[in-house]
Amino acid sequence: MSVASATTVRMPRLSDSMEEGTIVRWLKVHGGAVRAGEAIVEIETDKATMEYEAEADGVLEIVVHEGDTVALGEVIAQIVPGEVDRPTPPPRRERPNRIRATPLARRLAAERGIELATVHGTGRRGHVVKADVEALAANGIAPEPAPEPAPAVPPEPAPVVQSAPAPQRQELTRVQQRIASRMAQSRATVPNFELEVEVDMDACLKLRAELPDHADPVPSINDMVIRACALALAKHPRVNGSYRDDGFDLHDEVNVGFAVAAPDALLVPVIRDANRKSVVEIAHETRALATKARDGSITPSELSGATFTISNLGMFGITRFTAVINPPQSAILAVGAVQARAVVRDGELAIAHIMSASLASDHRILYGADAARFLVDVRERLQAPIGLLV
Amino acid sequence: MAELEFRDAVRDALDEELARDEAVVFFGEDVARPGGVFAVTGGLQERHGSMRVFDTPISELAIAGAAFGAAISGLRPVIEIMFGDFLFLAMDSLANQAAKYWFVSREQASVPLVVRSAVGAGGRFGAIHSQMPVPWFQGIPGLKIVAPSTPRDAKALLKAAIRDENPVLFLEHKRLYALKGEPGDDGEVAQLGRANVVRTGSDLTIVSAMKGVHDVLAAAEQLATEGIDAEVVDLRTLRPLDRDTVLESVRRTNRLMVVEEGPRTGGWAGGVLADVTEDALEYLDDAWRLTTADAPIPYSPPLEDAFLPSAESIVASVHEHLNTRPVNSSA
Repeated sequence: MSVASATTVRMPRLSDSMEEGTIVRWLKVHGGAVRAGEAIVEIETDKATMEYEAEADGVLEIVVHEGDTVALGEVIAQIVPGEVDRPTPPPRRERPNRIRATPLARRLAAERGIELATVHGTGRRGHVVKADVEALAANGIAPEPAPEPAPAVPPEPAPVVQSAPAPQRQELTRVQQRIASRMAQSRATVPNFELEVEVDMDACLKLRAELPDHADPVPSINDMVIRACALALAKHPRVNGSYRDDGFDLHDEVNVGFAVAAPDALLVPVIRDANRKSVVEIAHETRALATKARDGSITPSELSGATFTISNLGMFGITRFTAVINPPQSAILAVGAVQARAVVRDGELAIAHIMSASLASDHRILYGADAARFLVDVRERLQAPIGLLV
Repeated sequence: MAELEFRDAVRDALDEELARDEAVVFFGEDVARPGGVFAVTGGLQERHGSMRVFDTPISELAIAGAAFGAAISGLRPVIEIMFGDFLFLAMDSLANQAAKYWFVSREQASVPLVVRSAVGAGGRFGAIHSQMPVPWFQGIPGLKIVAPSTPRDAKALLKAAIRDENPVLFLEHKRLYALKGEPGDDGEVAQLGRANVVRTGSDLTIVSAMKGVHDVLAAAEQLATEGIDAEVVDLRTLRPLDRDTVLESVRRTNRLMVVEEGPRTGGWAGGVLADVTEDALEYLDDAWRLTTADAPIPYSPPLEDAFLPSAESIVASVHEHLNTRPVNSSA
């Protein structure tokens, strides 16, 4: 048995969709001692920036420098046995469900910025093969190749018309690349339709006014919407499901994602098992997750696994809007601002606080009536919010 | 032009090389007066004399030992081991002596020796006269393994083998002896270690050797009627492998199937898959092999037929891997 072999540090798989990663910062110096379990490097994935730990004791020899991007599995450093020689079993890392795709399909999808999870596999045992990626690309889903940069000096300056200055070019961050390809694929592959209801939020507002004596933090309207959706999702499995490979995947867990505007990005932190959490627990979590999303410390696991998404633009005063489904989820709820409006109640003109809730659904798994029943269920839960507390 | 029969191609190559170079000698069991048990070598003794073409006692090790001695003493012997199954008996001379001499002599002394042998199943010869000896020799550096599929290649490759300066195992599939085909140019000598794309296609690459090439070509014709366009590569030399030709083809078709008559474990098909997956993984949608089972070759005719790769089993395997459905034939 070899006692003193070097440990190779490879670009780790830090999220299930990660294909490559960028070394943001080495936390340990080249030639310095590291211990197993110590964070040695910060890596930016397609979803977040994460620390990665040494798997062995020894002396760090850095191979890939800060700012460089390498593919999954490439060697980024070596840990050469130093003065400490305590055998450390490598930590077991979770390997989430791997998408079945051939090596060729993986390469082509990566080259074209196509998310493999959105490609329907027609190969043996459902593998995504080259033809599947090409079919998707041929349907116009693949992002256009980057336009040629405008020539710095026009070959012949036009005498009369001054040519417009070249636009300032901003390269996408990895998170922006991911958002771009996901949203484009959603629009191109998901046959979606939208339903809208208006929710009378008077009861919710009244409840919320009474809560400061009982709850810390006080749940926001958004927390109540998350709770209402979570309870409704548990009763409507297809809304909590996914269309995939000519079938429906129905998920046991109700994991509700909520969109958060982060600097230069849109992130969707996830409340896991939201149907089993009280509205106060949800309020706790949404605050913590939103803070982490905005300061960049959120981890991929906190951003993955959502079975449904809520997007709320009410705080901007947006009255109503529709959102783009995040595949493979079957629906997304777009929530607008609560506004005082004149309504007819019991034949009388009255003032009510109305909130628009618009549900975009994947018609392959949700039909009009399914989506309508779910949306009405959510509305009723918000209009009788005592149910949200129990 | 008249068609050339595989067995005559082998005989013509021997005949021409015996006539061209008086260092060439040829011996083995029943090869001279009886003309060989597969009627390949008749007339050679009459034409070249009993000093250069002669019968030996039944001892494969003696034949191989004599050939090794002759080869390092200035002759260019060609020997016949009647059935490839008997190569085990000649193993020490071939593996430990002939294949090593060039290296242990610091590349001073070569061993221009050719071992001809009839191999392969399908002839109702049973478990001990039907085997494919390739894997036994595949791991011996210093030995080349030639495995032609057509009369033209048999002749041009045997001539090349005889002119090669170091030992060559030349395999003749029993089921090909009666095969007729287009003759090559007069005096044509092939280059060892070169595969041949015998059918171009775009959907997958099927690699095989010897009789397998004909099964694959028949399968490719059937697949073509079903809309699947197979490229077929005839390896011709199994050691050294022509990796470049296979890789070039697979990079275009993105799928590789290797058809080997021989047990799955330790077979040469596994080596082809390993070479391609190492060098071209990112070009692959699929890579697999169709071989015989890890079992001795059955004697019963229906069992033997079912045991061996065939055009039908190749077509079925392609459909399975491409996830396509076969077009129902009238059969």
